[in-house]
Amino acid sequence: MSERESAGVRGLYPFLYAGPAELSEVLAEVSRSTVEKAHEIVRLRRTVGESMAGAVAACAAAMAERFAAGGRLFTFGNGGSSTDAQEVATAFSAPAQGRPLAALCLTSDVAVVTALSNDVGFDVVFARQVAALGGAGDIAFGLSTSGGSANVVKAFEEAARRGMLTVALAGYQGGRLAELPELDHLFVIPSTSVHRIQEAQTTVYHVLWALTQHALGARPRRSTAPGSPAATRTREHP
Amino acid sequence: MSVPMETMESAAIEAFARRERAGNALAADADKVAHACLDMASRFHRGGKLITFGNGQSGTDAAHIAVEFMHPVIIGKRALPAMAVSNDPASITGVAAREGYDEVFAYQVSQWAGPDDIALGISPDGQCADVLRGLEVAGEFGLLTVALTGSYGGMIAESPAVAHSLIAQSSDPAVVKEIHVTIYHLLWELCHVFLEQPALLGPEVIR
Repeated sequence: MSERESAGVRGLYPFLYAGPAELSEVLAEVSRSTVEKAHEIVRLRRTVGESMAGAVAACAAAMAERFAAGGRLFTFGNGGSSTDAQEVATAFSAPAQGRPLAALCLTSDVAVVTALSNDVGFDVVFARQVAALGGAGDIAFGLSTSGGSANVVKAFEEAARRGMLTVALAGYQGGRLAELPELDHLFVIPSTSVHRIQEAQTTVYHVLWALTQHALGARPRRSTAPGSPAATRTREHP
Repeated sequence: MSVPMETMESAAIEAFARRERAGNALAADADKVAHACLDMASRFHRGGKLITFGNGQSGTDAAHIAVEFMHPVIIGKRALPAMAVSNDPASITGVAAREGYDEVFAYQVSQWAGPDDIALGISPDGQCADVLRGLEVAGEFGLLTVALTGSYGGMIAESPAVAHSLIAQSSDPAVVKEIHVTIYHLLWELCHVFLEQPALLGPEVIR
């Protein structure tokens, strides 16, 4: 992936590798690249909306059901995805409007994260917390751009063992998460750019939040427009 | 659930669709993004570091930006020094309890600031007093100041302390955040484009 992206960057900015450039020339190239990427994420978001609206709605309904019965949300991810996990937890637990719902990000407690990593191993850093804090009525929500993060996979396995609702966001082809039969809801952003994947994932979890509120009876931010049914990729809960 | 699934699905379709306008509006700000990248690259080139901060959801963006620069997703790109001062709950709560919440970022900026540094504050409505104070103090120390806001930019976008003001064209904080993610991914990627042309950035070459 990285080699491919690196080659992509060289392709986008060939003059960088062909000798000194004028400032105005580089500024123009950078502006052009900004326009191109702004349009790229708009197109990707449209594709995701068209192909996953039904699945997002079904996932939000399932999450709302858990919350309505007193369930709590546990979120996790690594690196940039850990910051998304933090935002998901904050969005649900402390919304500016709507109903606050119990949510915790499993990267928040540095003492627990470093203790588990140092004493047991980084692969179990989320699974052990899921085992300690999660119950059958709760929700596990993990993000991985590659879909290959071992600690995210292990957390989902533990969550599924405990009967939790499992929701995963990935990119590329879904990686190991796509091969995990335990997952109830998996959203794979069809892109090979880590950046565009993360940007589209942000929209997916924002819409999941809004629809969960909607399902719980909170007033929607705006009235809904009529739309055509979209293909659902949500797996049936066993 | 009492809400029919068709209604839920329609709401999902509408929610995705209403992001398009703000997404396309970013393209119109391409020159502003490019100039912010150039100035940020010049600071890194002189050995400066990036200091980021924001409240709530924007605090997670500050952390994302810092890790983006510190640990590049593209192999071969050099790591650039960055820190998210909103990540330290002990300092935040300590300063907030002692000096008031508005001072939390200004205090840490004054602790860490070097003249070649960059301060990047994030505020979805442009009205966060502590983010503005952080940027003002950064300006006094000679830092390059960059603000990511939304709505109409609020008091932060209007502040003379802000050198580069990038405004997401939406009043919905969720949509603003999504545009911000694209903006800071671009800031990271395009900073490197300038860093790979050091002749454009002045005599001092980065470590």
